[in-house]
Order: sequence, then C-alpha cells, then structure tokens
Amino acid sequence: MLPKTADIVIIGGGINGTSLAYYLAKKGIKNIVILEKNFVCSGATGRCGAGIRQQWGTPENTSLAMEAVKLFETLSEELDWDIEYEQCGYLIPAFTDEFADQFSKNVRMQKKLGLDVSYLTPQEAKDIVPDLCVDNVRAATYCSTDGGGNPLLTTYAYAHRAKELGVKIHTKTEVTDITVSGGNITSVVTDKGTISTPMIFNAAGGHSQEIAAMVDIDLPINSYRHQILVTEPVEHFFDPMIISFDYNIYFRQVKHGSILMGCSDTSEKPGYDTTSTLDFIKDITTRSIKIMPKLKKLNVLRQWAGLYNVTPDAMPIIGDVADVGGYFQAVGFSGHGYMLGPKVATLMAELIADGKRDEIIDRLSLERFKSGNITVDSSVC
Amino acid sequence: MKTDSFDVLVIGGGPAGLCACAELSRCGIKVLLVDEGPVLGGQLVKQTHKFFGSREHYAGVRGIEIPDKLQEEIDEKLITVYSSSTVVGIYPPNNNVLIYRDQKKVEEHSFKYIIIATGASENMILFENNDLPGIYGAGAVQTLMNQYGIIPGKNMLMVGAGNIGLIVSYQLLQAGCRVKKLIEAAPSIGGYLVHASKIIRMGIPVQTSTTILKAIGTEKVEGAITVKLDENWNQIEGTEEEIEVDTICLSVGLAPSYKLAVHAGCKQIFIRELGGMIPWRNSSQETSVNGIYIAGDACGVEEASSAMIEGRLAGLNIAKCMKRLSEKACNEKIDDNLISLDKLRSGPFGERIVEGIRKLEGKSYE
Ligand SMILES: Cc1cc2nc3c(=O)[nH]c(=O)nc-3n(C[C@H](O)[C@H](O)[C@H](O)COP(=O)(O)OP(=O)(O)OC[C@H]3O[C@@H](n4cnc5c(N)ncnc54)[C@H](O)[C@@H]3O)c2cc1C
Ligand SMILES: Cc1cc2nc3c(=O)[nH]c(=O)nc-3n(C[C@H](O)[C@H](O)[C@H](O)COP(=O)(O)OP(=O)(O)OC[C@H]3O[C@@H](n4cnc5c(N)ncnc54)[C@H](O)[C@@H]3O)c2cc1C
Repeated sequence: MLPKTADIVIIGGGINGTSLAYYLAKKGIKNIVILEKNFVCSGATGRCGAGIRQQWGTPENTSLAMEAVKLFETLSEELDWDIEYEQCGYLIPAFTDEFADQFSKNVRMQKKLGLDVSYLTPQEAKDIVPDLCVDNVRAATYCSTDGGGNPLLTTYAYAHRAKELGVKIHTKTEVTDITVSGGNITSVVTDKGTISTPMIFNAAGGHSQEIAAMVDIDLPINSYRHQILVTEPVEHFFDPMIISFDYNIYFRQVKHGSILMGCSDTSEKPGYDTTSTLDFIKDITTRSIKIMPKLKKLNVLRQWAGLYNVTPDAMPIIGDVADVGGYFQAVGFSGHGYMLGPKVATLMAELIADGKRDEIIDRLSLERFKSGNITVDSSVC
Repeated sequence: MKTDSFDVLVIGGGPAGLCACAELSRCGIKVLLVDEGPVLGGQLVKQTHKFFGSREHYAGVRGIEIPDKLQEEIDEKLITVYSSSTVVGIYPPNNNVLIYRDQKKVEEHSFKYIIIATGASENMILFENNDLPGIYGAGAVQTLMNQYGIIPGKNMLMVGAGNIGLIVSYQLLQAGCRVKKLIEAAPSIGGYLVHASKIIRMGIPVQTSTTILKAIGTEKVEGAITVKLDENWNQIEGTEEEIEVDTICLSVGLAPSYKLAVHAGCKQIFIRELGGMIPWRNSSQETSVNGIYIAGDACGVEEASSAMIEGRLAGLNIAKCMKRLSEKACNEKIDDNLISLDKLRSGPFGERIVEGIRKLEGKSYE
C-alpha cells in the first residue's frame, strides 16, 4: 500500500534515487519514499558501462569526478557490500592531432585540479595495454585511479541499506502528475494512488524532462538511445577502460572476464526507444577491432540499450529551482551519472537536510543556461 | 546480407519444426530449417521409450524413430537444412535474422515468414552448492546416455517425479546406474501411472513431500541432504536426511524457450498453465508480430504430439497467407488439425493446457 504522506518523494530507483535516499536517511530524515515505475535498476543504471573516470574536459566534471572517486574508494566498506569497484585505470588514445592537442590542454587543466594523470607516447600506451594497435595513435592520456564498478550491486546495496534505515521503495508505481499550490509542491499522483508531500526529488533518468514538465519546468534536455554489448568471458588480458573519441567507443574487461563495449551513434535522434539494432553490432565490432584487433575472436553474448539524458554542455543539472518550492533534481548526467550520482547525492542530502549549499550546486544549477555562455565538455562518448 | 530464395525460416527441427516443414513443402514452399543440434529431431532423438498418446501421433513408436518418419513426409528439394547452426537474433522491424552457421560464422538473412519452434529448456532449482560438478538436468542426462552412450554417474538422486523424472530414472536403471532415491516436492507423483509403477516395481524408493536442501562435496557431488515439506511447502526441521550419491539429476520442469520471439518484438503474457511467460499467439499460431509464428513447447510446454499439430497449423496458415493452396483446401486441413488437437487435449492430463489456451484466447496482447 502506498503511504498517504511522505516528507520527501524520490522519483526513480536508479543510482541517483537510491543513493540520495540512503544519504538522506543517514542524516535522520524520516518518511522517505522512492517511487519507481518498473523495478530498481531498470533504467540507465542497470544498463550502463559503469566506468568511473576523472579525465574530463571541464573543471566541473573533473573535480566532481575526483570527489566521486574518493567516495567510491570506501563505498564497499561504507555499505558493507562488495560493489566490485576497481581502479583499473582509463587509457584514452588520440587518433588525430586535433584530439592529441585537446588532450594536452585537458591534462593541464586536470593536473591543476590535482589529478594524477599522464600524457603518453603511443609506445607508452602500448606498454600499458600490449594488445592495443597503436599504428595510428598520436598520443594518449592515462589515469591509474580511474576505473569502474558494478552498477547493479552498487544500486542494490544503496537500496538495501536505505530500506534498513526506514526508506520505503515502491516499485511498479508510476508518477503521472505532481501538484503544486502557491508555488510549492503539495503531492505526487501515481497509478497506485496519491501521496501528499512537500518535497520531491527528480531522479527519473532518461525521463527526467517528463517529470519536470509536470511542474512546468522546461529542462534543456534530450534523451538518446545508447547501445552496449557484452562478450563471453575470457582470461584477463587488459586492465584499463579504453575509450576513444575518434571512434566514439569505450570498452573494458570486467571482473569476471567479459568485455563490456559501447559506442555512440551520432545519427541517433532524441527519443525513448531502447530496442537493440543489428547495425550497432556491425558498427561497433568494426570500430573496436581497429583499436584492438584481438577482440575479433570474441563471441558476443548479449546486446542491449539504455537512455543518455543529455544537456547542452554534457554536465548534469542539480539542485533546487527558483520557481517551485520543494522541487529538487539530479538529472541530465549525459552518460556519466553512475560515476557522479553518489557524490551528487551526498551534496544534495546536505542541501535538503542541512540547508548547506556546496558551490558546485550553483555552478551546475538550471540557472546556468539562462546566461547563455556555457562551456561544453567534449570528452564524451 | 543475403537476399534469400527461401520463403520461410523454420527455427528448430524438433517435432514441431519438422511438421511445419512437411506442410510447407507439400504446398511447394521453399524453407530454410535451422537447428542447433547435429541431427534433426529435437527432444525426440534421446527418447528411447515408446510414446504415449494417440496412434495417429505415433503412440507405441519409440521417440527416436519418429524424426525419420517425419522427414519422409518432407520434400527434400524444397528444404535446406542448416544443422549445428543457431539462430542468435531476430531484429525488428524487417525480421533480419542472424544465423551462427556451423558454429563458425555469422550469416545475416531476412524473412517475411518465420516459425519459431525452439522447444523448451530445463528449469533449475535453488539449493546450496547447486553448481557442483555432478548436478545435471534430466535432459542432459538423457542426451549423454541415449544419444552419446555416456553414463553420467553410478549412484543417483533424482529430484522430481513428473514423467521426465520417472522415464529418465528407468533409463538410468537400464543403463546400469543405481537410482538411490526419487524425491518429489508435491504430495503425490506427477507423472503417468505406467511410468511410476515401473520405477516402484524396480524397488526405487519414491519420497513425496520432499525436496533437496543441499549438495555435499567440494570438487564434485559426494552426497545430498533432503528434507520433508509440510502441506504449505515449508521445510520441516529435524527431517533432514543425508544420502550418499555421486550424481544429482534435476527433473523439475521445463520452461518455453521463446527468447527469439521476445527479441523479434512479440508481445508476451503470463499464463501459468502453459509454463509462465509465453509469447501471445492466436489460433493460427501467429504471434503479435506479423509473419512470425510459434509452435510446440516454445509456446507452452506440452508433448510431442501436440507440438506436431501446432507445427502443421503454423505451416498451413503460412501457406494460406501465401496463397499457395486454395483457401478452401487450407481451411479443411487446418480444421482437421484443430480437431485432432482438441481430441488430444480432451483427457484429464489435457485439462491444464485447455484451461491455459482458454485464458490465452480470452486475452489480447495489448
Ligand atoms: C549504454 C550506457 C552506458 C553508460 N555508461 C556509463 C559509464 O560508463 N559511466 C557512467 O558513469 N555512466 C554511464 N552511463 C550513464 C548512466 O547509466 C546514467 O547517467 C545513470 O545511470 C543515471 O542514473 P539515474 O538514477 O539518474 O537514472 P536511471 O538509472 O535511468 O533511473 C531512473 C529511474 O526512474 C524511473 N522512472 C522514470 N520515469 C518514472 C515515473 N514517471 N515514475 C516512476 N519512475 C520513473 C525509471 O524506470 C528508472 O528506473 C551509461 C548509460 C548508458 C545508457
Ligand atoms: C524424457 C521425456 C519424455 C517425453 N515423452 C513424451 C511422450 O512419450 N509423448 C509425447 O508426446 N511427448 C513426450 N515428451 C515431450 C516431447 O519430447 C516434447 O514436447 C517435444 O519434443 C516438443 O517439440 P518441439 O518441436 O516443440 O521442441 P524440441 O523437441 O525441444 O525441439 C526444439 C529444437 O529447436 C532447436 N533449437 C532451439 N533453439 C534454437 C536456436 N536458437 N537456433 C536453432 N535451433 C534451435 C533445438 O536444438 C531442438 O532441436 C517427452 C519429453 C521428455 C524430455
């Protein structure tokens, strides 16, 4: 049974919704309800590549990711749950001079923020991943403290611990409307009933713009399908996540030996379709073997797709908004919400529970798009 | 991509798929038949026992002999067979099909009509150490023994007393294995009396209201612990029993293998009587996706005899759509098959299926 009232309703049972619930509950907030239209992890979180990288193109993304890594380093301990976090590094080869130049600028900015990152020659990159084909590589960047985790384990762990702290999670419950009175949130309407609440948190991932529209907030966000596949497991043969913006591709060998591999299709139109295509398989297999010919021998086990929730500058939109009291959000992660979600959740919990506003919240608020001068992070794929 | 000269793709060469091919080839339709196994026949190739059911559907004939009889019905000139080949995907909207040919290379095809006759896969149950070497599904045991002549072990615990559990226990005895015990979670034996009596006559202890709690062993199975269940299927503490065996055989039901249908975009519904989630289909065996048909265990676990008729129905309905036979002739044949299917399901063992079909036909997939 859906409760009649709540102190805060969180919409979305992905990494963002569950981690926020956990941190809020830890701060002693009571009557927290998560509403999830399918099941926990059914959105982008359960479908993602789960890479955690700090080598970004803007200071906001970089410093937030660096904070996120600090959090991930102790997360298994904090949640008393092995989330398969590993710092296997990220290797980013550049196949054109343009990217090589861009990377050297990025590395300078990243180093200034205190990141231990290096700019490598093709041979140095090959020393790290012997199976990398460096014929056309101009340079590469590498950060050994980047890595990845298991998104399902991370989210289930947050959800489980949140429940222990009293959080109620209602799955198969879809939010269909939100009512506002006198400029403040008053209730959330679902297909299973209505909950009165003074606060809502939009963590609806690929559908965040639909939730915002319910309270007349127009988010500058579009969702795009991103496809991904996993191969059969084989003996471990390379450590880091390899990512290329030239080929728009990323892949890494996860703990049990499978290779997770995804790529962006720049011709994809905004939408909510998550079906898999044959073209994706053909496309990604051709691209990936140019970077690592050895992959040619592997069998593909499964393919699937999820939504990227994309903002104009490829940085998330977080915090509260001026016009609707009690509305909070962490949306528009633009393909890196697994790594940033938990850190953002701690900041949002401080804002909601303690009224403490970290300066990054202002820098990543919806307001930033009003000024019109945004810096786009191009280190995205 | 290959532009094919085939009119229809049949996936699975079990009784359902073979019968579909027979009807299609009789109507002059060109078919590509793809089967994962090295020989055609599906489940039948390992069924050394004489079949039950009605005479027109090969009752009294041994399962292994049926595929040959079915293949005699098929016009070889019209059928191309890819054996040891797996269909790995059907991509909407154009039914692009990926075939892993000879388990070596991937081929892409496209078909207007597809019959999915992929059968069922075995269920697994949850207990401690259920991944130890020495734990088999009954189907795997049958394949090893009856198809390849390999005995899986010496001392067995059989879990599940449905027809398959009973038949496989008997076949294990014939092969010289010792079945130390047959346990069944339900309060009574689920399989046919003829099969059960054989087992009991041979002195195999059958314990109902009993399940497996854990497998013992480190490298491989060395024993098992069973436990009694009360009327609510809860374990009764203090009734644990240890039994020394080297093999545990699980015969705990089958679930339709319909993943390809889901991939193709066919809508699913839940019908307990037909094995749980299954693709929706109409009485022509057509799914919610135009041109994609499904037949046999893949759309509800039943038996070979009904699988055969469903396969024929799928084939005939495609022939009707393709106008390769007069509508009247098609309808007559379709009606004949529908009548046989009804007859087949009219006994007490058909009740569950009939109930399932009734629910299915009452529901649209929307
Ligand atoms: C293929 C792919 C690869 C990716 N790789 C990475 C990566 O390597 N690293 C990384 O950090 N990120 C990656 N991402 C991005 C990452 O997955 C997302 O940014 C992140 O998971 C977003 O989490 P979330 O909790 O905000 O959203 P989601 O996980 O999408 O959760 C939102 C939930 O809200 C629910 N919902 C929606 N509408 C409603 C409603 N009306 N009522 C109730 N519930 C609703 C949905 O069912 C969903 O479960 C990838 C994404 C994809 C698709
Ligand atoms: C022990 C036992 C005893 C039985 N006794 C009787 C009996 O006495 N009387 C009776 O009527 N019934 C009996 N049955 C049931 C009967 O065998 C099945 O109902 C029947 O075989 C189902 O036929 P099918 O064509 O639907 O599937 P199957 O016979 O299972 O055939 C499916 C075929 O599809 C192939 N396939 C699957 N996926 C793919 C793919 N992706 N690509 C290519 N090929 C694929 C498989 O390799 C297989 O050959 C018995 C079953 C068992 C296990």
